[in-house]
Amino acid sequence: MHYSEDELILYHYGEARRRERIDEHLNTCDACAAAYREIAGTLALVADVDVPERDDRYGLEVWQRIRHDLPVQEPPWWMAWYRPTLASGLALFITAAFVAGRYWPDGAPAAPVTQSDTTSPDAGARVLSLAIGDHLDESERVLLDFVNASGDRVDVSGQQAWAADLVDANRLYRDAAERAGDDTIAGVLDELERNLLEIVHGPSTMTPAEFETVRARLDAAALLFKVRVLSGELRERDLAPTEPRKTT
Amino acid sequence: MTVTDIPAVLARARRGDDEAFRALVEQHSRSAFRLAYRMAGNEPDAEDIVQESLLRAYRHLGQFEARANFGTWLYRIVVNCAVEHVRTRESRKKRARMEPIDEFTMPVSESPGPHRLAESRDIGRRVAAALDSLSPLERAAFTLRHYEGRTTDEIARTLRLGTSAAKHAVFRAVKKLRAELKGLEAGD
Repeated sequence: MHYSEDELILYHYGEARRRERIDEHLNTCDACAAAYREIAGTLALVADVDVPERDDRYGLEVWQRIRHDLPVQEPPWWMAWYRPTLASGLALFITAAFVAGRYWPDGAPAAPVTQSDTTSPDAGARVLSLAIGDHLDESERVLLDFVNASGDRVDVSGQQAWAADLVDANRLYRDAAERAGDDTIAGVLDELERNLLEIVHGPSTMTPAEFETVRARLDAAALLFKVRVLSGELRERDLAPTEPRKTT
Repeated sequence: MTVTDIPAVLARARRGDDEAFRALVEQHSRSAFRLAYRMAGNEPDAEDIVQESLLRAYRHLGQFEARANFGTWLYRIVVNCAVEHVRTRESRKKRARMEPIDEFTMPVSESPGPHRLAESRDIGRRVAAALDSLSPLERAAFTLRHYEGRTTDEIARTLRLGTSAAKHAVFRAVKKLRAELKGLEAGD
């Protein structure tokens, strides 16, 4: 039995399980010992980046550069959101359900996203907008990372793992948008979900030509545009009713 | 103004006191620059990242939890700002492939002679080019793991990734670096 490159990388950084067993193995297995020496040798080569020094006045210099560009401070979340009504409590409950849905996707039941008659539609919609906006931002990052992958053998295993993390949450938000009757959001999330699944279930390593085919099939540029536009709209929806606080 | 009472300074900054925020800027700019430089690989980009991160931090100070550590919070902002900055830079580079290649982006596939390789300056240049070949996410994850000594869980939290995605980003970075620096391993 030999240890994989990934296991030896984890071992190098002190995160491998059963470290003692790997120690013993490296003492007896020439192949693994040689592989480990190569990994350690490369990482020793990139020991540290020579960072240019900045003296004690640097902080002041940075301040002088930014002081005239300070933006309007956004209000604390509770100031923008707090409503001393039942609606605010229900909004918090919906938030918790979304968070639960994101991190415990296998758990029953799914997020209670339908708004009851007693829930403030505004509060519920804003919670939903905020959660979906965050999700779209993260999805945009994974799509960008995927389309920017390169190399002689294009390895997208990391992007696949990342996309897999987003699929369950995406399904939850799409269902929520459908139930809320927002066809635009549901449509974009549906398209996003199909693309995420395509990434997840596609090959992990490809030749540049194969990768180009996958990239063309995804039509990521068009999807990225839709994701960005929708994310922007949701942010505007979120900010519209609240006047930002100018404190300077 | 010196930062002698962090909670009080933070509270004032969160109320919009610019002098209090100035104290935070003065205290944290150098460490932010070190991190930004490691992530971006050059001074102009690192400077841009520091400024953008501090402006972002100022804008969102109201959402910063008073009990949390400002340095840790700013650290995450710098990392994510750097990822976006490098990503934008990469897209720009892709669009301008026909432009002359500058020193920092010198392709690592060129084969310098043994004398040049022996010079640490050239090795440093190849290391810089190898780091530059990483995707923004890979570079961020590798920087956090290799230079900043962060665990996989911390990297995942900072980059807002799943644990396995963070782990794979580090793996891919190391594999790419090995391929780019083959033959140069320390001790060879």
